[in-house]
Amino acid sequence: MAADKTLDLDLAAITDESRRLAAQVKPGSGNWDVIVVGSGAAGGMAAFQLATAGIKVLMLEAGRMLDHKAEYRTMEWPYASPRRSRLPLDHRPIGVAEYNFLDRPYAANPQLAKYAKVTSYAGNTFTRNWVVNEKEHPTTGTPYSWVRARVLGGKTNFWGRGALRYGPLQFDAARLDGYDVDWPIRYADVSPYYDKVDVLLGCSGTKEGLDQVPDGVFQRPSKLNCVEVAFKRAIAPLGRHYIPGRAGVTTDGLLNNKYRSRCLGRGRCGRGCDVNANFHSPTALVYPARDSGNLTIRPYSVVSEVFLDEATGRAAGVRVIDANTREVMDFKAKVVVLGAGCLDSTRILLNSKSPRHPQGMGNSSGLLGSHLSEHAMGPRGSGFIPQRIGTEATLDDGRPVTPYVPRFRNVKDKHPDFIRGYHFQGGGGAYEYPGMAHDLPGFGKAFKSSVRKYYPALISLGGFGEVLPRKENRVSLDAEIKDAWGIPVLRFDYTFGDNEKKMAKDMGDSVEEMLRAAGAENIKVDRELLPPGWSIHEIGTARMGDDPQSSVTDRWCRLHDVSNVYLADAAPFVSGGTQNTTWSILAMCWRTMDYLKEQMRTGSV
Amino acid sequence: MTRNPVSRRTALKRISAGAGAVALLPFLSDEGLAAFADIQKTGAAPSLKALTAEQYATLEALTEAIIPADERSPGAKQARVADYIDLLLSEADDTRRQQWTEGLAALDADATTRFGKPFVKLDATQVEALLTDASKNEKAPALQKSERSPLELFFVTAKQATIQGYYTSEIGIHQELKYKGNKVLLEFVGCQTVDGKDCPHCGQKAQV
Repeated sequence: MAADKTLDLDLAAITDESRRLAAQVKPGSGNWDVIVVGSGAAGGMAAFQLATAGIKVLMLEAGRMLDHKAEYRTMEWPYASPRRSRLPLDHRPIGVAEYNFLDRPYAANPQLAKYAKVTSYAGNTFTRNWVVNEKEHPTTGTPYSWVRARVLGGKTNFWGRGALRYGPLQFDAARLDGYDVDWPIRYADVSPYYDKVDVLLGCSGTKEGLDQVPDGVFQRPSKLNCVEVAFKRAIAPLGRHYIPGRAGVTTDGLLNNKYRSRCLGRGRCGRGCDVNANFHSPTALVYPARDSGNLTIRPYSVVSEVFLDEATGRAAGVRVIDANTREVMDFKAKVVVLGAGCLDSTRILLNSKSPRHPQGMGNSSGLLGSHLSEHAMGPRGSGFIPQRIGTEATLDDGRPVTPYVPRFRNVKDKHPDFIRGYHFQGGGGAYEYPGMAHDLPGFGKAFKSSVRKYYPALISLGGFGEVLPRKENRVSLDAEIKDAWGIPVLRFDYTFGDNEKKMAKDMGDSVEEMLRAAGAENIKVDRELLPPGWSIHEIGTARMGDDPQSSVTDRWCRLHDVSNVYLADAAPFVSGGTQNTTWSILAMCWRTMDYLKEQMRTGSV
Repeated sequence: MTRNPVSRRTALKRISAGAGAVALLPFLSDEGLAAFADIQKTGAAPSLKALTAEQYATLEALTEAIIPADERSPGAKQARVADYIDLLLSEADDTRRQQWTEGLAALDADATTRFGKPFVKLDATQVEALLTDASKNEKAPALQKSERSPLELFFVTAKQATIQGYYTSEIGIHQELKYKGNKVLLEFVGCQTVDGKDCPHCGQKAQV
């Protein structure tokens, strides 16, 4: 018997399968209409839309295939592993996962010494086999916690499940406050696709009629527990809402997918859901696409660049480095769809240099890589809700997501210090691990009983603030450092600006105000911003627009410069509001693929 | 259960082969992990990996003093928290191991100075007195690290690790916290006021 089964996971069968697939699929071994790079939310949705429409698709995934039955360790107790699902001491927790600290290439620079050790998401036993190692995948420049998963399904295997729509406040942001530029499209353009995504994949939530986060087609919501109801009632007089979280999880079940069950209320979705009620790209999109007979998947396929047919000026295909054999291969197709994730898709384009495109493909505007945006995180607050102090714990966490406080700044009023806004996510009650014990003083029986006393009463909320898109926040190719496959790595020039800092201050103040309104005890407020990238919601590095001078893609997420290259991920997003990004990636990708299908049907491609 | 025919080392080699050097933590042999699991289950004598028998005894007494057995549930000793810490220390770097061994030595030195015997031999009143001093500045955030005694610093380290080890153990989760989740639910119940009833758990009334 192996004692630490999560660390000891036998992946031989799936790595053998991955090698077999990689060896089978070679240039010329098939005829493909479209190459899709990536297999996460973007690549999965692209492949699903195209393959089920009868289009022959080659999906290139940089990592291996996934043995989802073995690798989603949903119900495993921490004591099943001698390390209790953790890697050794002093690891900073973020949600259910933890960051692991490793040296980065710029660690030698004394000015950056305090950032010398950031960051990888692979600190726990249940995501460590999916997340890339920073030593193979370094970045340079300003610190950025860039979480990447190279495995079938990518980050959807452990995503946070927040399934929020962008609304008019995002698509019309510039028109409303005069900052930056508008999206070239409106909420009405995307809203039908959000509806379709809700129905195809399942989305849990409640109708609230709020402009800042439009309603969807919802399945059974995640109810509020006792401390959350007390908090909701306490903040209502402040004019703030506290509503069931919206989750990309099917709580009522789906009739369109044989791989997925309805939610079973175990509440451990971030470890991967072994009944696939949680949206994971492999079971929700990739396997159904493969079942159509039109999808070929090649794992271990690290895409280095898109190459050009110099005669026509159109993309001819992509160059692949086999992650194991290092063999370099050129795969050809009529159309290339990049869904490698905002930053990796951008990196591929920057690296796709040719005489026609000396600064990288799609970069005639010089804007490819700029306007990197995400969500500023860090300010958060917690306290103990009096109604539950000293009571026996109830079952408080058997649901996909915690509730959330939708954005309340600059919705109807105008804040004097900053534009745009933020929301809070977080809930309370008795969770498996009483993290609040670390903040309680003392030792002995008194300490132990104080943990017990406060355990059911905790409430804890963290902010997500919009980072203003700014031209100077950008990524470029590093001139010297290369990754393990010899591809130039990204150099980040990215910092939080004045608006984010003022917003962060207000996040701390407003969470404290709400906790006080709830009469919470032991109120604790963190005001410091976490390192950039912590939200894992990166967007904007190939922004869309109608003018090729000021944007990288058109309103259909197609490069202005090369008419048969599309972006399926969040790179074309102009601004990101406060909303978690995944559901918008899925909706926008579907919309883009509908356009592409029409182009292919009419022979325009 | 039979032993997995593929050892972890082989499996990891397969995963990482060709993908450059993968930085992994050092790990125990399969035999070591299996033995660890057996110890946790049967209450057998510890098989130490980083600490000496004396250090282990001191650590075990310290963890039990931080989270003791009471009328509701067993404490850190029965939850084998010291084994968990010893395991993590065996995989930690030298600096961290030294921090712990020096901390344990400081604890014994303080006990000897004040009571003329090592920590493990102290009675409950003496332990209480010693740890009350060691924890007096625990929640004084303004205090610089250099203004805290080595024992005060070690108390915080040991307490955080004890919390981690205890509340992730079978005893901590099920007997002490009586955590009710991680089971198959047809529907999450939540606060009963959501369904328009008075809630028996929190006493909140349904709102009309």
